[in-house]
Amino acid sequence: MAIVEKPPTPLELAPAPVVVPRQAFGLYKRPVSTTGWKSWLFTVDHKKLGIMYGVAAFVFFIIGGIEALLIRLQLARPNGTILSAQTYNELFTTHATTMVFLFVMPMGAAFWNYFIPLQIGARDVAFPRINALGFWLFLFGGLFFYLSLFLGGLPDCGWFCYAPNSGAVFSPTNGVDFWAIALQITGIASLTGSINIIVTVLNMRAPGMTLMKMPIFTWMVLVVQFLLVFAIPVISVALFLLTFQRVFGATFFDAAAGADPLLWQHLFWIFGHPEVYILILPSFGIVSEILPVFSRKPLFGYPFVVFSGAAIGFMGWGVWAHHMFASGLGPVSVAVFSATTMFIAVPTGVKIINWIATMWGGKIRFTTAMLFSIGLIVEFTIGGLSGVTHAIAPSDWQQTDTYHIVAHFHYVLFGGAVFGIFAGFYYWWPKMFGRLLDEKLGKWNFWLMVLGVNLTFAPMHISGLAGQSRRNYIIDDVQGPWVTSMNLIATIGAFVLAVGVLIFIINVVKTARGPRNAPLDPWDARTYEWMTTSPPKEHNFDSIPPVHSIDEFFHRKYAEDHDTGEIRKVATAEEIMAEQEANADKHIHLPSPSYWPIVLASGVPVIGLGLIFSVPLAIVGGVIVLLGAYGWALEPSVADDTDFDPPAGGPSKELSTVG
Amino acid sequence: MSNRGRRAVAGAAIAAGLVLLAGCGDSSPLDTWNPKGVDAQKIHDLQWWVFAIAGIVGIVVFAVVAVAVVKFRDRGDDRLPKQVHGAPKLEVAWTIAPAVLLAGIAVPTLAAVFDLTKQDDPGFEITVIGQQWWWEYQYRGSYNGQSLDGIVTSGEMVIPAGVRVPLRTTSRDVIHSWWVPALNGKRDAVPNRFHDWNIQAFEPGDHLGWCTEFCGLSHANMRAHAVALTPENFVAWAKNQQKPAAKPTDPTALQGMGVFAAQCARCHTVKGLTQTVKDPTTGVETEQPVIAAPDQQLVSGAAPSLTHLMSRTSFAGAIYDLKKPGCTNDPAYDQAYPTGTAGNCLNRADMESWLRNAPEMKPMYAQLNDDKKYRGMPALGLSEQQIDLLVAYLVTLK
Repeated sequence: MAIVEKPPTPLELAPAPVVVPRQAFGLYKRPVSTTGWKSWLFTVDHKKLGIMYGVAAFVFFIIGGIEALLIRLQLARPNGTILSAQTYNELFTTHATTMVFLFVMPMGAAFWNYFIPLQIGARDVAFPRINALGFWLFLFGGLFFYLSLFLGGLPDCGWFCYAPNSGAVFSPTNGVDFWAIALQITGIASLTGSINIIVTVLNMRAPGMTLMKMPIFTWMVLVVQFLLVFAIPVISVALFLLTFQRVFGATFFDAAAGADPLLWQHLFWIFGHPEVYILILPSFGIVSEILPVFSRKPLFGYPFVVFSGAAIGFMGWGVWAHHMFASGLGPVSVAVFSATTMFIAVPTGVKIINWIATMWGGKIRFTTAMLFSIGLIVEFTIGGLSGVTHAIAPSDWQQTDTYHIVAHFHYVLFGGAVFGIFAGFYYWWPKMFGRLLDEKLGKWNFWLMVLGVNLTFAPMHISGLAGQSRRNYIIDDVQGPWVTSMNLIATIGAFVLAVGVLIFIINVVKTARGPRNAPLDPWDARTYEWMTTSPPKEHNFDSIPPVHSIDEFFHRKYAEDHDTGEIRKVATAEEIMAEQEANADKHIHLPSPSYWPIVLASGVPVIGLGLIFSVPLAIVGGVIVLLGAYGWALEPSVADDTDFDPPAGGPSKELSTVG
Repeated sequence: MSNRGRRAVAGAAIAAGLVLLAGCGDSSPLDTWNPKGVDAQKIHDLQWWVFAIAGIVGIVVFAVVAVAVVKFRDRGDDRLPKQVHGAPKLEVAWTIAPAVLLAGIAVPTLAAVFDLTKQDDPGFEITVIGQQWWWEYQYRGSYNGQSLDGIVTSGEMVIPAGVRVPLRTTSRDVIHSWWVPALNGKRDAVPNRFHDWNIQAFEPGDHLGWCTEFCGLSHANMRAHAVALTPENFVAWAKNQQKPAAKPTDPTALQGMGVFAAQCARCHTVKGLTQTVKDPTTGVETEQPVIAAPDQQLVSGAAPSLTHLMSRTSFAGAIYDLKKPGCTNDPAYDQAYPTGTAGNCLNRADMESWLRNAPEMKPMYAQLNDDKKYRGMPALGLSEQQIDLLVAYLVTLK
């Protein structure tokens, strides 16, 4: 549909200069098509990249879900025989790695890629090609991870991959190598992405949008980007050390050579705990957008929600050793981390109370997006409270590495992060695709998932307290009837959950086949991203209206009568849109698509394969990366006229003809 | 909608009730809410009211959510509600309130951390050593005048009831975690590190434990027992443990000893085991002790000592019963345990299967690795006759 604007040529102003083909050997033409598969492969549009992030992450979600179902089948009855010990150990490793690194993180990236520029009134992110590079690195990293299945076996060391069990002696297949290098690759994606979003948010906001007038989702995502910038390098270092140990025989974590294996644990959790907030804060942002819209009230205590998010971002760095209470830290460390862990519950609690206060006194409309948001409040509260029980270090000495912990973090991550993601799907689907997801199927989707989550994970609290240890490929009658019965219930629950997810997929297919039925403003929304068409045009906004308040869109639609205090509607969404189109900017410059991000990204997994199998291959990968970087650096941000076929020669395309 | 809200609250209440119920069953041998020792009791005294407070906070939150969704649901009129942006005083209040509540929990928590880490000195300590996939216990010191030096056992840690015994945990390969929930929380066994810990049981009894740090293939098959004995029985047990194995008199067992020396003694120690060695130059035959060299066969460098096999209740990482149920359920078993039970007590079926093909009974790496070492016990390819002879010998190891 939309066409990338061809660059204005100097033709209008001056006689044409001599046209010299820029492309090497006359063969290379820059990609400029805006439809068809090439427009996706070489795109630098944040919206297309957001959708691709979402699709890829959802596919990984399904893969991770199937792994979870296999695990649950194995544990349904004592001494399960569906999986061997080795396969089971591989599956819980891939399940967690997939869900954390290949589903929840990139799904957050899907939302923030798509909506941050729209929420702040920007036409794209600050570095569009780096944005594309990030997506391709994530995708190639994920594919590289699963390549291990065909090249010697999946990793079997757990997503935490503790040393020395991660060493070549104890995990002799290449699985751990694939794991470490895959996470290294997705880590580059996160790191480049986070710098990109920080620069975008700090520099490209609409006129008048001060930091404290930013939509709350943008705020939470900004906090996440700072967490990523500081957390990813820590895991990168740890993964480098691990790769050097496994590939080149270094001894960083080799106890037999005198190393202290706890080094790995500290590095992993200094990354790993901020990672938890990286996973949850985008969902907190999403529901903080949705609750006000469907309560028809502003977010209660916006500054408190912002500051509590920032506080979580800071305090999240001081709690990592609560994952290590039983690892043999001294009592002073244990006491300090026990206390800091308890107090990080405060800013989280503040958020929950503010969400409830947002609903209080409102007029709540129970759309599916709202149900998932309320679901998040309830389920996350359960996860948060069980979290307090293991902030108590002595209590954690009993609970750690039992299913009580499994129950806790699944309430936090499924009931929290994933519910927020589904709320975001239902809320923003009409904006992204111009179609409303079916609300009736949505209700089924929601209630089955709520039932499924509680049926799966609530029993694990009990089986954990009854002594069920984690990462065991079988349960045994000797553990007692509480363990065996709760595991059976959890397995049934997992399948209920799967049906809930299946209904979502059916809903998506049904909606995609249906008409473009979404009105411009289906939810009576409040924020900036709704002040454009659905789906947004290639350039997002025809003009960038200035911002006066947090809920800019709402305040353009409604005004308070100073005498009566009555709130009246003063404009419709269509009127606001029409005004924007009337004031459309004449020349809008968007960067052109580029081959280089995908070319550069494709070299990185080749380096990884080379490290594992043969160093010359790594050199080939390095050459691809280097060439990609050169091509990239020498490429202008917009395509030359001669890149178009037929070459653009006329005056610049006006927006009215862009369509 | 109101029904749904109420149902959510009811569901949460049921879930909370179930959590509380979990503490009530004696049928769960690993129950974390059923303390049988002083350390576990201290943890329990701390945790139950944290759970109670968490439960109350949860119920209050769910109730408020339920009221909100019922009371403030959209009833269809088109007027917007009052656009309240916040109430800073209220916000400060509900920031401070949870902080105060948590500070209230933090004080006894920190006290308990230091209290539980302090060690008593009963005159002896036990070093707990994890390896893939079993536990070894080494004793040092003396108890009631009885020396415990040199006692090495596996599978079951034996302690005198009522005594708070200092433990030092470490590992020979990967990280494990020793955990007997009835007596105390868990502590990781990390190679190159010694972690100090305690264990105490109020009464004599056998308490089940489980490895809780993922330690590779057979992590699920790495269990432990903590057996508390009366002080007299403990002294008797210690005396017996310090004796070397006697040479069997029965001819079948004697033949079995030969099989053991040839097949098993490469890894497994039996103190006092000897074999006749002929000097190649002089032709003189002498009785030489058989020294196990597990470090040359295994990645962990250790295999369970079998000197007093029949004074245990389980084998193979404490996952199989060593004795028949009819034997262990007999009230006389408690008296027989410290000095080893009779041969007819043996759970022959599982023991023979184990000797036939151990990796089939418990997943282990049956193949040699690059360093020509095993992880776990390989299949030895013994004949049925060799197995019978071996069993005849093993039952003499009391």
